[in-house]
Amino acid sequence: MRKFSIKTDKNLEPTDEQIKRQKDFSRLHHDYERLTKRGKKPIYRDPKLYLLFVIIGVILLLLFLEK
Amino acid sequence: MFNFRRHRKNLSEAELIELAKQDSFYFGELYNTNFDRIFRFVFKRLGGNEEVAGDLTQQTFIKAMANIGKYEDRGLPFCSWLYRIAQNEVSMFFRNSKNEHTVDIDAGKFKDLCDEANLGKYMSAEDQEQLVELLNGMEQEHLDLIELRFFQEMSFKEIADIYSITEANAKMRVYRILEKLNKKWVDTTERSEH
Repeated sequence: MRKFSIKTDKNLEPTDEQIKRQKDFSRLHHDYERLTKRGKKPIYRDPKLYLLFVIIGVILLLLFLEK
Repeated sequence: MFNFRRHRKNLSEAELIELAKQDSFYFGELYNTNFDRIFRFVFKRLGGNEEVAGDLTQQTFIKAMANIGKYEDRGLPFCSWLYRIAQNEVSMFFRNSKNEHTVDIDAGKFKDLCDEANLGKYMSAEDQEQLVELLNGMEQEHLDLIELRFFQEMSFKEIADIYSITEANAKMRVYRILEKLNKKWVDTTERSEH
């Protein structure tokens, strides 16, 4: 909630230093990347990759048992 | 490695927007051009709270960056789209904030509001306090419009662009609110006289 109050002496315009302090595109870009880019999925959480490793494992096992 | 990105200085705003939709590198120029005015807008709406104004401005640009793909050029300046996002961010901040925030308003601009609403030429300090109380009791949507017009000193055209309405409609809305304020003011002063 906001509440108004009248001020006669306060300067309500930001100074150039205040603007300069807050203006930072690299920070914005970093925050954007952090918020939007999903982290990499671990291999064991990816069903397709998990299945591929199981198949490779079974093939290797079969080759080993054949010898 | 070769840099195939075009030199940003030679690009128009429309071209930059189109390029920013594909590559966030170009959004940097839009950020640099518009940051000052958006920060100034948020800063004044928060009554001079630099830290919160910085965070909300940053949040505004993150949302703009995330949604630039959906931006459609309707002949309005790009900054009016940014003002709209900033306006929503500030309103959301006030709505979600548990604490009450005091927003300082300039005495001169307050006088302009009194003149425009025909509230009398002279206002004592007590009258001004009473009027501020009336303002504080108004609907938030109405206060937003009062703020934009009188405390941010925006033109009806700029207000219309932010709300995606016509200039005539923006003017009508503001004057209806002023009429309401005038009526409330007359009721309050009559009651205090009796």
